[in-house]
Parts: sequence; C-alpha cells; structure tokens
Amino acid sequence: MLSYFKEYLDWKTLLLALGLVGIGLLSIYSATVDVNAAANFYRQLAWAGLGFVAMAVAALLPIRTVQRLSWGFFGLMLVVLLVILVIGSTIKGARSWFGVGGFGGQPSELMKVATILAIAAFLARSETSLSDLKDLLKTIAIAAVPMVLILAQPDLGTTIVFFAMLIPILYWAGVSNFFLVAILVPILVAFGALFGTAAFLVAIVIGGGILYYFRENRFAAAVAFGITLAVGLSVQIMYERLPAYQQKRIATFLNPEADPLGAGYNVVQSKIAIGSGGFTGKGFLRGTQTQLNYIPEQWTDFIFCVPGEEYGFLGASLVLLLFALLINRAIRIAALSKNRFGSVAAIGIAGVWITHVFINVGMSMGIMPVIGIPLPFLSYGGSALIANMIMAGLLMNFYANRKEH
Amino acid sequence: MIGIEDFGLRTRLRLMHAIVGVLFVVLFLRLYQLQLLYHSEFGKRSEENSVRTVIKEPVRGYMYDRTGRLMVDVGPSFSVTVTPVSFDTAQVPELSALLEMNPAQLIERINRGRAHSRFSPVRVSRDVTYEVLASVEERLYRLPGVSYDVEWKRTYETGIRAAHLLGYCKEISDAQLTKLGATYRQGDVIGSTGLEASYETFLRGEKGFEFIAVNSKGQMLGPLDGGSRDVDSKDGFDLILSLDLGLQAYAESLMANYRGALVAMDPNDGGILAMVSKPDFDPSVFSGVTPADEWVRLNNDPEKPLFNRATMTRYPPGSTFKMLLAVLALEQGTITEHTTVRCTGGYRFGNRIFKDLHVHGTVNIREAIQQSCNVFFYQLILKTGLDPWFDQARAFGFAKPTGFDTNEETGGLIPNTYYYDRVYGKGRWTQGQLVNLGVGQGEVGVSPLQMARYVAALANGGTLLQPHAVSRIYNKRTNRYSDVDAKPVNIGVSKKTLDIVREGMRWVVEKPGGTGGMARISGVPSAGKTGTAENPHGSDHAWYVGFAPYENPTIAIAVLLENAGFGGTQAAPVAGKVMRRYLGVPDDVWRPAPTAAVPTKDSTASVAHPDTTVLH
Repeated sequence: MLSYFKEYLDWKTLLLALGLVGIGLLSIYSATVDVNAAANFYRQLAWAGLGFVAMAVAALLPIRTVQRLSWGFFGLMLVVLLVILVIGSTIKGARSWFGVGGFGGQPSELMKVATILAIAAFLARSETSLSDLKDLLKTIAIAAVPMVLILAQPDLGTTIVFFAMLIPILYWAGVSNFFLVAILVPILVAFGALFGTAAFLVAIVIGGGILYYFRENRFAAAVAFGITLAVGLSVQIMYERLPAYQQKRIATFLNPEADPLGAGYNVVQSKIAIGSGGFTGKGFLRGTQTQLNYIPEQWTDFIFCVPGEEYGFLGASLVLLLFALLINRAIRIAALSKNRFGSVAAIGIAGVWITHVFINVGMSMGIMPVIGIPLPFLSYGGSALIANMIMAGLLMNFYANRKEH
Repeated sequence: MIGIEDFGLRTRLRLMHAIVGVLFVVLFLRLYQLQLLYHSEFGKRSEENSVRTVIKEPVRGYMYDRTGRLMVDVGPSFSVTVTPVSFDTAQVPELSALLEMNPAQLIERINRGRAHSRFSPVRVSRDVTYEVLASVEERLYRLPGVSYDVEWKRTYETGIRAAHLLGYCKEISDAQLTKLGATYRQGDVIGSTGLEASYETFLRGEKGFEFIAVNSKGQMLGPLDGGSRDVDSKDGFDLILSLDLGLQAYAESLMANYRGALVAMDPNDGGILAMVSKPDFDPSVFSGVTPADEWVRLNNDPEKPLFNRATMTRYPPGSTFKMLLAVLALEQGTITEHTTVRCTGGYRFGNRIFKDLHVHGTVNIREAIQQSCNVFFYQLILKTGLDPWFDQARAFGFAKPTGFDTNEETGGLIPNTYYYDRVYGKGRWTQGQLVNLGVGQGEVGVSPLQMARYVAALANGGTLLQPHAVSRIYNKRTNRYSDVDAKPVNIGVSKKTLDIVREGMRWVVEKPGGTGGMARISGVPSAGKTGTAENPHGSDHAWYVGFAPYENPTIAIAVLLENAGFGGTQAAPVAGKVMRRYLGVPDDVWRPAPTAAVPTKDSTASVAHPDTTVLH
C-alpha cells in the first residue's frame, strides 16, 4: 500500500500546493477582515474546497482521457472567450469577468490550462515535428488565437503570460536556438524602446549581435533583424494606442515615485508594506499597511504584501521557497515523464507559474511593472485558484503516469 | 517524443532549472534588500504613512416649528482623539493635564478604543473648549497619535426647552454599538430620547470618508488620487414640527412654577401645538458632553425632571372623564337629554355614601356636566355597565398608547370585568367599586396626551386623531417634503349626542354656575371641563380639558397640575391663557358675572355623612 502511494502519489506537489493555498487564505483573511470585504475570505474558502475537488479529478483522470479531452476543452474555452467579448461585464477596465451566480469568473485563467493541454496534445502527435516550419507555426497559432481574444478584452497581463509560457514549451520540445532567439530579441528591443531612443539603439545593437551569433543562415537572420527593427519602431505607436490605464502603469513602472499619490501609489505602498515587515514581520493582523488598507484591493494582485508585512522576511521567503520548489517539481516531472504529452504540459505549467510569480512578486517589490496578474494560489479569485489547482492536479497525474509512453 | 536518446534533454533541463533559479534569486535578493537592508527606512515610512482616513460627519437634521422657524440646529464641537497604536502612554500625564481629565479615565478610554481597533482614532474628550483645543494643538508635535475631530453638536436657537418632546442625544453606549453595528463607531452621538431618538434614522444622515495624504510631519499633502476615492457625507433630514414656537414658549412660562403637563393639539389633524412637562431640564446640557454631576443630579432629583409627564403619567382624570360616560349613556339610550337626576349632595350605594360637594338640585345631562354634578354620574355608570364604559374609553383612545412620535408613553389603565376579576378574584368585587369610575376616580390612569386627544375628538365631531409632533420630513438630497402619516379613526358617535355633550362643556365655561369660567375667552365661545383628581398621597391634582372656538375649533388642550388643588381655579386659567394666546385674543382677567357662583371643587369620592338621598 505504502509503496503504491510512493509510486503513484506525488505528495510533494500536493503538499506544496496546499501549503500555498493555506498561506493564501490566511493572507486574504488578514487583508479583508477589517474592510467589510470579509465575505471574500469565505468565498475563497469555498473556492478552495471546489478547487480541491477539481485538483483530485485532474489527478485521477486517465492521462489518455486528459489528452483526448484537450481539444474539446480548448474549443469550449475559445467559445466562452468569444461570448465574453460580446456580452461580458467590465471589471477594472477589462471585459473578462463572467457572472456566474454572484461569483465572478475569469475564463482566461482556465484558457491557460486549455492552451497548455492543446499544445501538448498537438506536440505529442507522432507526426508533429518542430523542425518543420509548418508545425512550428501551427503550435504558435494554437497559443496565438486565445492570446488575441484575451488581448482584445483587453488584458495585457494575461497575454504576456501566454507568450511567456510558449517560450519554454517550444524550447523544451526542441525548437532550434536561433528561432528562440528570433522571438526573444524583438521583445528585448521593444522593452528598450520604452525607455527612450538611447536605450532603443543600445538594444538594437545588442539584439543584432545576438542574432548574428546564433544565425543558421543569413537570410533568416536578416529577416529576424528586420522584424526586430519593425517591432521596436512600432512600440511607440502601440504605446499610444494602449488604454490610458495601461499607459499609466507602464509610465509608473518606469518611475513610481513620480506620482506617489496617483498611479504609483500601489507600488509605493506595497514596497513600504514589505519593507516595513523586517525580518520577522509585524504579526498576524498587525500589519499597519494591510490593516489600514493602504493598498487598495490588496487581496487580489498585491496579496504578497500581506505575508511580507505580517510575517517579514521569514514568511515571504517561505512563500518564495514553496513556489521555487513547486516550479522545480514541475520541471522535474517534465523530465521524468516518458510521454511527450505530460512532459510538454508540465513544462507549460512551470512556465505559467514562473511568469506569474516573477511578475506578481516583482511588481509588489517594485522591480516589475504593475501588470494585473494574480499570484498563483494566494490571490483572491475563484477561477484563478481553480485553474492553478487543476494544474497541480495535472502535475500529479503526469507524475503517476510518468512511466507510460 | 522527448527521450533519453535526445542528447539535448540534460542541457535543456539544466537551463530550465537555472533560469528558474536565477529568477528566484533575483526575487530573494530584492526581498532581502527591502526587508533587511532598507527596513529602517520603510519601517519609518509605514509608521508615518501617509494616508489618513478622515470621517466626514454628516450634519444632523434640523428641527423647525410649524411656521418654519428654526428651533434646533447644529454648531461645531471639537473632540480630542487618540490613535492607540501611535500613542505613547508616557504622554498620559501631559495629555490628561491638558484635557483637564483624570489620567485613569483617559487610559480607560484609550484602552476601550484599542480593544475595538488599534488603528482607528478614539475620542478621549468630546466638546472641548477653544482654550483646551488651542493648547492641545500647540503641543501636537510632541503628542504622537493625538489629533482632533470637528463634529457637530445640537444648538437650540430659541428660548424654549420642549425638552421631553425634542429629546437629547448622547454618546453611543457599548450595548447600542454592538446592536446597531456598522453604522456607528465608538464615540458617535445618537438620539437618546424624544424626537431625537425616534427620528434618529432620518436625522442622522450618512457618514462620508475623505482620504488625505500626509507626510511624516503630519502635514497634509492633499487629497489622495485627487479626491476620487472620497465619499461625501449625506446630511440628515430636517423635521418640520407641528409645534407653535410662540405658544410653546408661552405655555412653558405659564407652567414654570408647577409640577405637571400641558398638551395643546390641533383638533383637525392631531398635530401637537405645544407640549410642556414640568419640571424639565435644559436640553442644551446634553448637546456637548453632559457633566457627570449634572447627569446624576437630573437622574436623582425627586421631582423627576427627565420624566415626560405629558405622555407617561397615569393619573385619574377626575371629572374631565364625565363626558365619556355621558356620550356612552346618550348613545346607549340609558338617558336622554331630558333625563334628570335630583342631587342632594351625595349618593348612597349599599352602605357607602359617595358625596358631592354641592346640592345641585334637579339636573339634566348638560347641567350635570356644567356644574360637575357627581351624583348624576355616580349612578349612571351602574346603568351603562362597566364593560361598555371600558369599550367607550378604548374608542376614545384610552388604555392604549396613542402612537405618538416619541414612543415614550404609557397606555394607561381603564378597568373592565376581566381586570377586576384578575385583581380581586371572580365575585370578590362589587358594583360599588364602579361608582367612583363614573367620575373618573379610582383605578383609572390616563396621560395628558390621551386627554388632549380625547377632547380633540369631542371637539372635531368624533374623530380620534393620531397625535403627532412631526408633520413633515424634509429630504435634503431630493429637496422633497414628505408628510408624516397620521391615521384618523371615526369613533362612531352620533352628532346629536356630541352636540348635547359639547353644549354641556360650553356651559362649563360660558354659563354662570359653570366650573370652568376662568378659561373663558372674551369674544370667542369655547368649551371645556374641569377636574380635580383625589390623590391619597397629597393635595388634589388639577385638570382642565377644553377646546376653542366652539364652532370649528382650532385648538384642543389638556392641562394637568400635580397637587395644585382645584381644576377650576388652577388648571382652567392656564388653559384659558394658552387658548387666548393661540387665538390672538387679549388675555383679559376673567371677572365672575354677578350671578355666577364661585368656581368650586367639582368632585370628590370620599365617604361622606349619610345625610343625603338620591332621587331620580
């Protein structure tokens, strides 16, 4: 019996995920106990219960069934996204919430899971080869369709997550180094362009050098450089076309203290919250920043401040450590998995989590722009919690079936 | 498929772990930097932070009289507050000296606030003087956590008190805070009695919130986010009272030397024109902080100044109750307007003699009311029966609350068969106990408000009104007035009966030999009835009820003067003066007509010598 559990139950993933959910509930309680939002805690508790069931189902379904259902799930979520674009209600400037019996639902969270599974199912086909440009483009297209729909909501943060998760998947599945570089360099240049002309020129020079170094043939390198230039130059135009709140967020990221009472307010307050936590923190329900609600809607995107302030360096490090262990566990499962479906999907899951954690925690500490994406397992929000627990369940599934080809 | 055969797997795995590792190292380093290296700076900034939530108190609704004159409004009041988390207890001696309060009390207040929330300011001293405020403000820089709030307190714009009617506000108690929840916070002021309490939800308004950024020196930098997060307070609604300010002031002055109550009512709609209960208190005593000794004094005063005698007393009404029995007997047909009784100054029932003050001779119902003949009514209740009399009293609004605005009233007591059976046991009481009821004595308890309502119903032709002090509520947000509902009920008494009884009441005032001549109004015919209620504990209570003008009356009044003696000589003059003032008639000193008898004591229920007989 015990050996059976050892063989099939991935208790590491289970404990890490449940530990993070527990810390999340504690933090949400702390952040909402005083602001007439205490109901949020009980809702999240209910979501956690539901999420546990979803996790169990994801872990226990036969892996072949999961693989077969992937396309159907993907198609269903695309339809839901389309419906939302037409009739969805607007929350915080984005049309992504789905009213279901008083619980807001954000289908783009589940869309991430569906996209990972669809790409994994596509790459798991024996006839698919990433050396074939057609298959490569098809893989990218699977990610691009939901990305476009989500960008149209508009939800920049989630779009970035889709993009960020695609890179490790392609890399893991064996795409050539040049191709990866050709995708990453334009991003570098585009980012540089935001800081002004000098930074743009430096980025172009470095980017060109990198492309040249990884070139496989000159024509492809030249095309990639051309694309890089075009992207860099169009950033300014795109920036103009971004909604005002996104523009403000980018400008605020570049200099949060410039407008400490306005757009930079959250970041400044969040840094104060974390910084004032010190080594051991101020104690449960004793964080002044948290309890006095200096950080609006802290229980969503700025939840990391709560452990940071109330439990200090010890508590915040514990949260980061749990995430690091969980993400490395996902990569480990990808390596252990003898079937391509599970392996690719596990890497996709690791990619989603590292993107979320780095952007969210980095944003709370002022080293990343304020991009509204939640911290997995901790942030308030039912659909995100469910999606993350499903992903943990899938990892456990892939682990149990790691020896299957 | 990715397999062992793929030589790149190991490299890719390493790179993956490496990237994840690097990203987490970046996060850890930043965390280390913020929490350990910069801790002192951020710790300071969080302590000095940065945004204050200022509660914007709504302005409590005003009260106006019927002519639109402002009676009660609000003025500024300053409270010194302490935020427990940032307050240094070493400052207690200095702060308590500044506030001129006991250090133990100061600590107790801060601790009470701390138990509620360490982070929200608690008011330690309310309604401080400008001098105290100035000295605190000078020292704010070395009193961390100390601040002050500007609030509102009641101010009374006119000389009148109307203390029991208007009521007062007090700081909310812990019990109320627990019960009422989120709307209030510690130190809030809440309507405690009178209209302040019963219209609390209308008067209160809604709190607003202002978010203000402050720097480490406590200087305000300006509204957060340009004030876009602020919530405006919503002022309370105004009450427009039916009260007549001039009449109220005059009535209060007339009652100054009495213990008792006066209620004047508009007999057409039940609106209270004046309501006095004496002795009273100055409501402005409660508007800021009530000095503890003053509160103890008011509470322990044997004269009970806090007690609203207009609505809460339960005194026998004496002869003023005779009209009730007259109406019943005429409606029942027990008597007609021509039925006469020969009064020989007393009435024998069994072996008891119920005496009358005078020998009234042969009197009919009108004369019996006019001269307040007891004998007529002693035997009448035996004929009408106890329970029909009880029902008639209920129909006139007795033995139940009137539904008056303040909710502070007694239902009073009217006995019936059920009551006597319960108190004395079935068959253990006799009809003799009823005899006194006929003249409003014995186990009867009524309030002046009920009496005013009763006489208003006689005045207006049989409609029982809902007495009310607030006639309209003004909603400042929508700029609309809404009327306060007052449901009139028809008692169902024939006009003929009422005319007979009313004529008797008119004779009380107008005709020689009437007991209420001192309430006479020159040039305006009026009607009324005196009463002198026996009081086993002291002098008699004096009553007068009346209305004027006789046709189309506009004022109905009930006056009760405790232990003052005769209704006709004590209560009737007060009622007369109030009605004259209201009707704009000169306050002539009444001189008895040459033929009129001197007003006399009009009823008594003590046992007299058996030297009288009763004839029919």
